[in-house]
Amino acid sequence: MSSRRSSRSRQSGAARISDDQIADLVSKLQQLIPEIRNSRRRSDKVSASKVLQETCNYIRSLHREVDDLSDRLSELLDSTDSDSAQAAIIRSLLM
Amino acid sequence: MKERMPNSSALMKQEFLKKWIKGLQIYSSFKKEMTIFERKKAIKLSADVAIASTRNASTHWSRALMSDVSTDDANHAAKIVVAQISGRKVEKYSSSKGLMMTCSNKILRRSRVASRCRRTRGVGTSVKARSIARKVVKNRTRVLKSLVPGGQEMDGVCLIKETLDYIASLRVQVDVMRHLAAAAERLDPPQRSIL
Repeated sequence: MSSRRSSRSRQSGAARISDDQIADLVSKLQQLIPEIRNSRRRSDKVSASKVLQETCNYIRSLHREVDDLSDRLSELLDSTDSDSAQAAIIRSLLM
Repeated sequence: MKERMPNSSALMKQEFLKKWIKGLQIYSSFKKEMTIFERKKAIKLSADVAIASTRNASTHWSRALMSDVSTDDANHAAKIVVAQISGRKVEKYSSSKGLMMTCSNKILRRSRVASRCRRTRGVGTSVKARSIARKVVKNRTRVLKSLVPGGQEMDGVCLIKETLDYIASLRVQVDVMRHLAAAAERLDPPQRSIL
């Protein structure tokens, strides 16, 4: 990877971002998104628009999951006499 | 930005869980009896505040999230939760005090790096195709900004860094919540009490 821009990036006071930094971040993003990680064949051929799209989809699905889980948990934690069961679960998760 | 080590994920989960439970306890002390809907909101909000606080206000998204929750005047309990869990008074989120302030919009231009790769196939991409590609990236970037808390204040590299951190945090949140729900379901097979 060329670092020819890195000297320029130190000149201005503001943080000039190098190509490498951006490529690095995008590749990290690619690795986090299951869709891209599993389906990609050549690492540098994924377009920015695809990365962005899959990122948005992934975040949305995570949001949905948090919402669903909150629903499930609110039903489960409903009955007041499950206090001891809750305590047991919580303790076992913390150890 | 703190680099996230694999073995710190377990610590993060523990921290999240403790803070989440603390938030729920605060809610319960406010309201003994809650409807399912109220409880769901309490669970979700406590979880969001808890995961945001694991970043210790070091990221834009976590600051924005905390600020959104605590400046919601309708929700008094939520404000207490935020104050207790973050351990400090949460100010209205403004990007002017950001750590990663001056990010340029280079991501849009850099996206051409990707389309440049495609050019090696022989036929050069037309000017029109490139401008369409830029529009697509611009639109999708806008969507991403709407999904990440505080995203509207971010630009370019900031947005990617914050997105990375946000996604990693969301995964921790989902992971812990999923385990708790599964464990609770095993211990407490659905015999729902009638409200």
